[in-house]
Amino acid sequence: MWKFVLRRAGTSGFVLAGVSIITFLLMFFTPGDPAETILRQQMGGQTPSTEAIEQFRDAQGLDDPIPLQYLDWIGGVLQGDLGNSYYSDTAVSQLIIDNLWPTLELAVAGMVVALLIAVPTGVISAVHKGGSLDYGSQLAALLGLSMPNFWLGYLLMLVFAIQLSLLPTSGYGSFDQLILPAITLGTGMAAIITRLLRSSMLEVLDEEYIQTARSKGLRERVVVYKHTLRNALIPVITIVGLQFGYLLNGAVIVEIVFQRPGLGRLLIDSIFARDYPIVQGLVLVIAVFFVVTNFLVDVTYRYVDPRISFEGGDR
Amino acid sequence: MPHSRILASRRGMLKGFGGVSAVALAGCLGGSDGSDDEGQPSEPDRDEQEQLPSATIALDDDPTRDDWNYYGGVTPYWTNILEPLVWVSNEMELEPWLATDWEQVEETVWEFSLREGVQFHNGEEMVADHVVFSIEAILEEHAWAPGWLHIESGSTVALDDYTVEFTTTDPFPTFPGTIAHNMVAIQHPDRDHTEDNVIGTGPFMVDAIDQQQEVQTVAFEDYWDEEPVLDELVFRVIEDPNTRALSLENREIDIALSPPRSRIASIEEDDSMFLERQSRPGAGYVGINLHKSPTDDTTLRRALNHAISQETIVDTVLEGVGEPARGPISPIIYWSAHDEIETYEKDDDRAAELVDESSYDGETLSILVANDMVDGSEMAQVLEGSFSSIGVETEIQVLERAAYSEAERDGEAHLILKESGSNSGDADYIIYEGFHSDGDVNQRLYRDEGTGLHNLGGEVDELIETGFQTADEDTKADAYMEAQHHIADEAVTIPLYYSEFIAACHENIDGLELGAIPQFSRWTSLEHWE
Repeated sequence: MWKFVLRRAGTSGFVLAGVSIITFLLMFFTPGDPAETILRQQMGGQTPSTEAIEQFRDAQGLDDPIPLQYLDWIGGVLQGDLGNSYYSDTAVSQLIIDNLWPTLELAVAGMVVALLIAVPTGVISAVHKGGSLDYGSQLAALLGLSMPNFWLGYLLMLVFAIQLSLLPTSGYGSFDQLILPAITLGTGMAAIITRLLRSSMLEVLDEEYIQTARSKGLRERVVVYKHTLRNALIPVITIVGLQFGYLLNGAVIVEIVFQRPGLGRLLIDSIFARDYPIVQGLVLVIAVFFVVTNFLVDVTYRYVDPRISFEGGDR
Repeated sequence: MPHSRILASRRGMLKGFGGVSAVALAGCLGGSDGSDDEGQPSEPDRDEQEQLPSATIALDDDPTRDDWNYYGGVTPYWTNILEPLVWVSNEMELEPWLATDWEQVEETVWEFSLREGVQFHNGEEMVADHVVFSIEAILEEHAWAPGWLHIESGSTVALDDYTVEFTTTDPFPTFPGTIAHNMVAIQHPDRDHTEDNVIGTGPFMVDAIDQQQEVQTVAFEDYWDEEPVLDELVFRVIEDPNTRALSLENREIDIALSPPRSRIASIEEDDSMFLERQSRPGAGYVGINLHKSPTDDTTLRRALNHAISQETIVDTVLEGVGEPARGPISPIIYWSAHDEIETYEKDDDRAAELVDESSYDGETLSILVANDMVDGSEMAQVLEGSFSSIGVETEIQVLERAAYSEAERDGEAHLILKESGSNSGDADYIIYEGFHSDGDVNQRLYRDEGTGLHNLGGEVDELIETGFQTADEDTKADAYMEAQHHIADEAVTIPLYYSEFIAACHENIDGLELGAIPQFSRWTSLEHWE
């Protein structure tokens, strides 16, 4: 177990270093001068003077050679300092902390919605393969997949806020303001998980041990939920783990439509503003998140399916 | 208070005519003069209603972003919590505000007399030292401020409690207009801009700030001018335009600034809502690259102008928000030559003839559009179609804002879709930045290669300089008018529309005063009925 953890930590280090270098280079090769863009934004669209631009570049070290800038930045990161925003001079770590909770809350709520829909639907669909329930749920999954997030968001607002007056249209802070964004975000995910769970269930239902279990006279409910679902969940966990990471970023549109703060918005706004320190810090944090999620997924495998070992043949 | 009553009755009368004007205007949307509510079909009976103490306005901008000292992070933006020395009227005229009077005593020296008896939200009286503090704070915290205001640290001096002297770095006749800007608001030194502790002189004070969500304000009882009708005013942040409109429909908010154009028709048809319009000192136009072949040919540029129908663009793409433009400068700016400029009428035959006469030989011209320009892509498609029908091929290039800026200044495109505007009482820089060789967009290419983008150089540069350097309004108007004639004759731009600021309101709202510079909207006469 520990060997596995150490090895994973080693590769993770490489992955993160790679991510940080690539992001750094990409930002510098993106058209649009950060000094001019930031100053123009601070001035509400007016033109900064050449002197002001030079002063800004100098103060932020933007004229240094790129490798030096990178070393400066990564040196700070290793000491826990992600730098300050060009635009507002706020610490990047502070901005990330401020925006992390709303995004996490949304991602978890979205995932809960997704699982609440997907698990029963996937199971029913597989058990009643070829029946009308199966077709119905597959159609619903297809709809869920093809519906753009923002459109669904507006639709939910129209129905639940305007027609039924049950929930607020937008905002952040209370539980009722979380419901519509969570449903919006969760349905797309639910569709993916439903389809995956269905095919995985069908595969497992064909396995011999299931036939054996049935022939022993076990009740169908036990066969389905205890023997089949548990094994069918393994590929689903991988997807849930990875998708959870995507949810953190993918929440951007939902965050914009429902006027919620969050990391997705922070990232998009910073990219457009060419606020490099925020972009670099945030990408690194997201990369760390993905690496950790992947690791946790691997560990979870071990508990769901004891056949997978940490020693030989790691996945 | 008396003022607001007079205003309310004036509006009541106007609303009586509202139904008539709505019908009259139905066929010619965009023909608005920016005055009161054409969209309101009938006058609600306020006698049977009670006044409510608070109202909620949804903004498309986030005033809670960052700290209170930054541009987008609303120093006084929208909220009227802080105030500048000089105000801007809806006719773009400068009005005394925290300063009652100003005078250019020498070429670079300005003396401002302050209003006496103005109180800060903490109860202290505003004096000259506070003005010095506020200016010094801006200069210290923003690298761009000295270049923008043309003053340096130490050159703002309190002569006595109510007189402040500014010495500009060079002769700068538009100084009063430049500081008629929300960014140059007067703040008390005890304010802590990183802690959202705002101390200004405005009619509203900060009560609570909920990051990225809303700013709650309360009326300031000791306000020096007319006290607000409302006790509380909430500025809610809803950046998505559709969500803003839906929130209004759901009554979560009372006013939605800049609702989406696609919903204008339904708002105007809905009895429970009305639309308020106000002309802005901005214009949308296509800037033509004068230094790139084949748009360096005046004949081709004239042909392109004849291909476009401004009315169609305003009616279709803009859903009637804005007015068809004749030049690149909005007519609400007093020196705009709107009335004198000859227009290129929509005439495909004439356009096609001109294309034949020109040096155009079938190459594809590029139209550069920024991704965040509202309806920019749709407008570019209309342009593409119109040019195609006179035999000129174009391709649309949509770039994200920073990349667009870069591509524009590098002169990569032939045609650049853009919008000009002013956020202060100084509208002079609109013509300077767009059309002077050393202005914003032309500067890079002009300095590097002696070319530029939309600069005719020579006489036009001189005219713009003359206008820019004079404090005499007539001289300015004459010089700029002459420059605008040259710009139109040489077809440097294809004017598209003059901008309009709109707000959708619930019918229980009265007394809304939108500003020509939207951030200069006043909320003191706002009334909310049950």
